[in-house]
Amino acid sequence: MLFLVSLERFVAELDSFYLDAGTSLASAGDAAAVEVARVEFLGARSGRLKGIQKTLGALGASDKPAAGKRFNEVKEAIAALLSNAQARLIADPSEPATDAIDISLPGIPLRIGRLHPITQTIRRVEEIMGRLGFESVDGPEVEDERHNFEALNIPPEHPARDPLDNFYVATASRGGPLLLRSQTSTVQIRVMECRKPPLRIVSIGRVYRPDTADATHYPMFHQVEGLMIEPGTTMAHLKSVLRYFASSFLGGDVRVRFRPSFFPFTEPSVEVDMEWGGRWIEMGGAGMVDPAVLTAVGYDPNEVSGFAFGLGVERIAARRWGVADIRDFYRNDIRFLEQF
Amino acid sequence: MIISTSWLNEYVHPGVPMEEVVLRLVMAGLNHESTHSVGLDTAVELEVTSNRPDCLGHIGVAREVSVLFSTPFYIPQLHLTESNEPAVDSISIAIQSPEQCSFYSARVIRGVRVGTSPQWLLDRLATVGIASVNNIVDITNFVMLECGQPLHAFDLAKIDGGIFIRHAFPGEVFEAINHKSYLLENSMCVIADNSGPVALAGVMGGARTEIGSGTTDILLESARFDPLAVRTAARGLALSSPSSHRFERGPDPQSIDWASRRAASLILELAGGVLFRGAVTAGNLPADLPPVTFRPERILQVLGIDVPIERQTAILTSLGLVREFYAVDGGVDGAMRWRIPSWRRDLSREIDLIEEVGRIVGYDTIDENTSIPSKPVERSRRDTLIRRVDGVLVSAGFLEAMTTSVVSESLSRLESPWTDTESLRIAPALLRGADRLRRSLLPSLLVARATNEAAGQTHAELFEVARCFMSSPEPLPVEPLLVSMVCSGTFLRAKGILEAVLSHLGVLTKIVWRPFSSKLFIPGTAAELLIEGERVGVIGSIAKGVLTTCGLTEPTLGFELRLDLLEKPMDIDCPITRPSDFPSVQRDINLVVDERLAWSEIETVIRCEAGPHFESLCVRQVWRDAQRLGEGKKSILVGLVMRSRTGTLSSDEVRETIDRIVSCCVTRCGASLRA
Repeated sequence: MLFLVSLERFVAELDSFYLDAGTSLASAGDAAAVEVARVEFLGARSGRLKGIQKTLGALGASDKPAAGKRFNEVKEAIAALLSNAQARLIADPSEPATDAIDISLPGIPLRIGRLHPITQTIRRVEEIMGRLGFESVDGPEVEDERHNFEALNIPPEHPARDPLDNFYVATASRGGPLLLRSQTSTVQIRVMECRKPPLRIVSIGRVYRPDTADATHYPMFHQVEGLMIEPGTTMAHLKSVLRYFASSFLGGDVRVRFRPSFFPFTEPSVEVDMEWGGRWIEMGGAGMVDPAVLTAVGYDPNEVSGFAFGLGVERIAARRWGVADIRDFYRNDIRFLEQF
Repeated sequence: MIISTSWLNEYVHPGVPMEEVVLRLVMAGLNHESTHSVGLDTAVELEVTSNRPDCLGHIGVAREVSVLFSTPFYIPQLHLTESNEPAVDSISIAIQSPEQCSFYSARVIRGVRVGTSPQWLLDRLATVGIASVNNIVDITNFVMLECGQPLHAFDLAKIDGGIFIRHAFPGEVFEAINHKSYLLENSMCVIADNSGPVALAGVMGGARTEIGSGTTDILLESARFDPLAVRTAARGLALSSPSSHRFERGPDPQSIDWASRRAASLILELAGGVLFRGAVTAGNLPADLPPVTFRPERILQVLGIDVPIERQTAILTSLGLVREFYAVDGGVDGAMRWRIPSWRRDLSREIDLIEEVGRIVGYDTIDENTSIPSKPVERSRRDTLIRRVDGVLVSAGFLEAMTTSVVSESLSRLESPWTDTESLRIAPALLRGADRLRRSLLPSLLVARATNEAAGQTHAELFEVARCFMSSPEPLPVEPLLVSMVCSGTFLRAKGILEAVLSHLGVLTKIVWRPFSSKLFIPGTAAELLIEGERVGVIGSIAKGVLTTCGLTEPTLGFELRLDLLEKPMDIDCPITRPSDFPSVQRDINLVVDERLAWSEIETVIRCEAGPHFESLCVRQVWRDAQRLGEGKKSILVGLVMRSRTGTLSSDEVRETIDRIVSCCVTRCGASLRA
């Protein structure tokens, strides 16, 4: 040192340092800024405080004690400010810093599959009928004339047997003419042929009737047919079962109504309506099993009686979901299927 | 059947508005189609079921109304003035095909004035939608709509010789009153004279003998034709008429003569002329309907409603049945015997009479709160199988499709994994171009995927559970139940889904996998699944040619399984094993093997040598590197997990097992261990 530094000058330097370092540390926005400030002001080799410390030697001997005391005060104060700044901004090294999430972004889509609406309807029907003790049975879709007509009391001259009104298999078979079944009651006949009453069964499956495809008709569709044969069965049981079914399917207290009709395999025969949305909507057909049908399968009509009913699945599915064109059920457009 | 309200009111007066009458008729079996005004009259269209031909006339409907409202009904009285000349002198009738026509009657009226019908008749026909022709034809239509018996009037002068009722000659030509010509077949019935057919029996009259303005002499036909003969002609020639509609259902035989006399009396009244004496007839009317025995207690037993015997009797009587006597024979005490009126051929059994009582009393009286005793129901094995299968596929994100069982010929010719026999054909076609029962579901699903692709939804992933059809020596074809799936991605992705299905059925370990060669799949990318040597499934990348036939462009994988063959092997009731309390040990082994070595060979060795603590293995990676591994070699990184049920495995035990596995892979598979 070639010149002496006055005490006033030294203290002013310290004050200026304190002000600058304090301001820098207080305004440091992140850990990096704190570190920059630390190095600038308190760095061991070329920090500003170090520079001031070196000028201590240039003070007069009588000034040194006071200067030294002031120096230590400032050093501790800035060290405390540094410590606060670090605590404020420097994260715990054991917890890595994470970026904030934009929670409004859509999640990664999870693709859920669906059963076909017709399958869903069939399962619902099976479930409801299962609660009433009706067992699900199955049978062939290609049938012989005996099961599709004769056993159902449809004689040869009946209009329902017209070749233009049925899908006959063109190749001859050993057992006689074959056709795609026009109702699922064929399955009931097959079951009755193998089993003795009491019997409660539902047969659900594809049936086929020549019909131009349009919004309410399709040449292939699904039928639910129920059959109950037990001693003492009456039309009151039939009506009650149908009311139970309608109420369970639609929800609430649904009334049903019978209108006399004619089917070859039931007598009396009725058309069944259910009350839906304040209106009577046709649900299907039903009746007491015709004694001729019972005789054809080897039951004694004097010993047992029973009822049968049939519903079209597409029709109730279309109504349930408001599907205006039943051909949509067979288009298999995924935009349609994934809505169910 | 369209009913004119004012016409109906000539026979019955129910005393309530028509809407109420219609409602009661609906509840008694005649459905209501529509109602509309025609001038001052109201036309009501009713649906008449095929067992009630008696309601195909206003009198029949009036009878129903009279029964429902307990009010009398009136049939017009007939007063006929006949001349002394017998009708038989004017014309001869011969039935040559009695199986087609059991009874024929004809009346002769000479000197009529053909002209316009009077207003009342025009109004009646207009309401029910029948076009007016002339007074004679109009009268025949009127009487048909009155009592349900169709009639026909011929111009007698134009009839050549006598009348024959016979089969048509094959190829015989007939010009009908609609002035169209028809080529007839032997199965059809015609009314003919010496020159040829003058009418298609029960369907339509001929142009040659039709009533025209110059007609003066009339032959009035009223007959009974076989329903099947009439239907054959009507369907075969696509020529229906109100007449054929009625003959197909069978009008009342006793109304044949009434209708003839009614028409004759109207003709005399409106067109003048002289009615010759009697009717020329041929054939026989059927015998009276057999009486039916009826037990009153059956009403409650069948319908579940209690109707007093007096009410039952009153209803049946008002319907035209006549009670004979209480039957004492056969121990049927209290039973009644009833004679059936000729217009109700549908009443032949006790059950039919029960229905009559029920529908007149009203089915709204049947209780709808009768409970049935409960009964346990088990789900069938087949249903369980199907639900497990679709449960897995739905969880995997697939949509269930439903496609038609009948496909086009080009689709049906695609190879089926299940049969080589040709697909069965149906007639008529289900939809345009589709007349083959399918032998596999894959083509239909590929077409469904293609339809989605065309609409912009690429990569549609679908499955279906349905039957296919295969011809067999048995009387019925075989109908195996299949599940089929189409998807995008890699073979291993599709296989993973398939394995999940098989695993959930408990059959995965029973499957033997073999490479499969078929036109369905791209060569080298397909496998067949066998259980005890029988093919139960196939999987692979669909061949380009097949994709093209189905209209698809994007690469597609698919599998198809025989669910019918998996029903027996399905094993889902295995007991639950408790997880071990002890930690597992995991080791990876890196084996370098020949490129052509199948994974299954290594897997077999590992499973064989893995010992009692083996828990699971997986393939982490398969890679090739010509430089580091050499040509024709591949490296398989296998992850092994071992765990003991009785204690923590020691490192010695583990090392011993790994060493054993590796050494067997080396000796048996030619593998070498890579560090």
